[in-house]
Parts: sequence; C-alpha cells; structure tokens
Amino acid sequence: MATSPPEEPTGPIRVLIAESHPVLRGVVRLACEASPQLRVVGEVDTGEEAVEAGRTLAPDVIILDLSLSGIDGLEVARLLRSEGSSAKIVVLSGRSDERTVFESIRAGADGYLEKTAGVRSIVEALERVVAGERVFTPEQEQGALRELGRMARRAREASGVASKITPRELEVLGYVSQGLTVGQVASRMGLSPRTVETHVAKVCRTLGVSNRVQALARAASLGLIDLGWKAVYSPSIPADRP
Amino acid sequence: MASRTVSDRPLAARPSKRRLGVVLIDPLPVVRAGLALLIDERLDMEVLAEAGTAEEALEALGSTRRTRVVVVVGLGLSGEHDSFWLIRTIRQLYPVLAVLGCGANADPMSISRALFMGADGFVDKNVDPEQFLESLRRTADGEMVLAGPPPQWVGPIAAGIERRRELEVTLTDRQREVLIFAAEGLTARQIAERLGVRERTITTHLGRIYGKLGVGSRVAAIRAAAHAGLVSVGARE
Repeated sequence: MATSPPEEPTGPIRVLIAESHPVLRGVVRLACEASPQLRVVGEVDTGEEAVEAGRTLAPDVIILDLSLSGIDGLEVARLLRSEGSSAKIVVLSGRSDERTVFESIRAGADGYLEKTAGVRSIVEALERVVAGERVFTPEQEQGALRELGRMARRAREASGVASKITPRELEVLGYVSQGLTVGQVASRMGLSPRTVETHVAKVCRTLGVSNRVQALARAASLGLIDLGWKAVYSPSIPADRP
Repeated sequence: MASRTVSDRPLAARPSKRRLGVVLIDPLPVVRAGLALLIDERLDMEVLAEAGTAEEALEALGSTRRTRVVVVVGLGLSGEHDSFWLIRTIRQLYPVLAVLGCGANADPMSISRALFMGADGFVDKNVDPEQFLESLRRTADGEMVLAGPPPQWVGPIAAGIERRRELEVTLTDRQREVLIFAAEGLTARQIAERLGVRERTITTHLGRIYGKLGVGSRVAAIRAAAHAGLVSVGARE
C-alpha cells in the first residue's frame, strides 16, 4: 500500500439517491451501504432537492427516479447536464417502454435500470457508470434507436403537414384542444360558428382523420399543438412488493 | 464451407428473388467498387446497380422491379441534388425501399438530416465489413440501424431532428425557400429576381423569418438554419 499510481486510489464513489418512493429509497441506500466502494452522500425525494443536491454535494453518480414530485427526473437530468454537471446519472424507473428509455438517453442518462432490477445489479450499475461505461441492455439501446427512427418520421410528417395548415387553422385547433366548443371558439376569434366548423373540417382533411378528437391526437403527435401532457412518463409505484 | 470463385456469379442470369438487392450510390467510384466486391461475395445479397449521382441513382431505381432492396446513399453527393435531396426523393417515389445513409466520420448533424429526410438508418464506412453487411440485412428487415457512431449520439442526433422539426413547422414554404437562398449568400434583390417578386416582399419575408426564429440579423438566421440542418454552411463530408 506504500506506493501506488498517482491518481489511484480515490475515495469511495459518492452516491446521491433521488427516489420518490421511501421503501425503494431505503433499499437502494442499504444496497449502497453494503458496498465498500459506495458512499451515500444524500437522499432526496423531490426534483428540486435533486437538482440542489446535484449541484452542492458533488456526487459522482446520481440514482434518479423519473417520477419525482415537482421537477420530474428527466428535467433534473437535463438541468444538471445543461449546467455541465459531471455526475453520472443512472435512471431507476418503473417503466421500460422505448420512448421513456429514449428520452432518458436524450436527457443525458448514463444508465437505465428498471425498478424490478435486483439490488446487486443497482450497485453494479453505479460502479460501472462511474468507471465510464454505459449501462443499457442491448434491447434498451435498440429500442431507443427505434424511437429515434419514429421521431424522425413524425418530424418529417409534421413538416409536410405544417405547411398545409394555415396559422388560422392552427389557432382554431389550439382552442379546441383547450376544450372550447365551436361556439366558444367562434366568439373568441370573432368568427361565425360556421367558419370555425369549416376550419376544423379542413384541418381534419389535411391531417387525414375523420373527427376532431383524432385531429387533436394527430396534431399533438406531430408536435403541432401541445396538449399539455407529460404523457411520456407517469408516477409509478414499484409493483414487485407485496 | 465451399469457396466461391468470382466467375461463379452470373448476376443477370440468376437473379434470385430471395437475395437482398443492394443499390450503391456514392460519388466515389472506388468506394462503390469496394462495397460491390464485398457484397457480391455473399450468397444472400447482390448489387443491383451503382450510381455516382442523384440522377443516375433515380434512373437505376426506376428500372428495379425488386422490393427487398436496400439503397445505400453515401452522404457525399453535393450540388443542388445532394444526398439529402436524393434520400427525400427516393422516400417519396419508392416508399417500399429501405434507405441506409452511409458516410465516413459523419457528424451527428449529417445523420439527423439523413434521418429527417427519410433514411431508415445510418452506417459509417469505418465499421468492419461484417458489421457493414449486417447493417444491410437488418435495414432490409426493417430494423433501425446506427452502426459506427457511439450509442450516446442518439441524444445529439435527436436534438438535431427536433430543431429541424421546429424550424419546418414554424416557417412557411416560401419563408424556408427565402432562408435557403439567403444562406447561399444571395442579397434580397437577387432572391427577389430568382423568385420573380419585388425586393420589398423579400425583405418582409426576412423580417418575419427573423421574428419567428427569434434572431436579429441575417447571419443569426442562417446560423439557426444551419444548426437545424436546413442548410449546410461550409465544408461537407
């Protein structure tokens, strides 16, 4: 132990646990404490706290729940990444769909674990990302790629459709998406209900759908309107506990 | 494993429906020749045609009857009908064909552009030959392929597509056209002449474009367009 290479050994890996579910948080902490390489420097359960702790506690790695209250997990990752945080991020999520994995990678995650993952795999994942590895399964990587392909296709379709929809029509669609009736949209825009109906019908034709609800869904999926959903992820509770 | 000799492939005489057909498009003859050798050595695929320009490519595709085809488009075609134009055109004219973008040391932005235009995937020329061939097979099977670039490029590539989508949705067709001309360095008067409208109309368009992009100058607008992959400024691949 007397002589060692200059940069080694460094201290234990500093871990920040950002997890909304108290039981799961406890499990992750216990797992980390059982490993001599890991030291838990903070435990938080909201997005705001996670951002703050990520800035001040200088963690080497953050284990990040996507369904934190307040600022959600993806936003936490984006914020820390945009500030140049060097902390590695391992997402811990109850979801395994391709879209969520894709959005996690986009947000700057270095690894992705499902909540059904075993305790040992959590510890292993933390150590691996700190060593510079990415911790995604081949299925997750391929799923994210498929989602990238879908995103490109939607973007292409959106730009094709967008040039055919007038700003007026888009405005009408925006009001409809807020739940306004045709009559309300008409009075809001100073138009006759008949004209509003015409706009809606034209939008439906352009989007290739047959009714208003489909038009909204299609326009939202193309990103022409924002339905105000955070549909990508929703609060989830670990399902594997009795 | 029986070895095959070069003379053992009379392509025209034995066009197998089950073989994967590959169309190679690249401005560099050496690249096409190299890839053709590699592909024709395999039992499960064959080169149907080669082309060095977008026009040749469309002509070759027009005479292709097969449907299980991967079109490999090198991203190095330049000029008005560049690789991205070609990808979009193939996508429109031959929606059933799989299109694989191909480049050497391409940056995320080029890959974003290729995917946005309609490529089903991207393969780097620097990958090893087996991986290249496997990329062709997987593309033909409908898998999204990104072979060569590190997996973490998914983020920047997606960001490029997102910027492009926003720009496309924000601008009208005419405004986009004006912006592309502006990026080529044309003055408002020159753009007006090209489009057959008054100079004043163009300055109005430019003003609206700046407003929509949230920028204050032509240079900043061009930067935004380049950032979104609408135009390429400077050296290409």
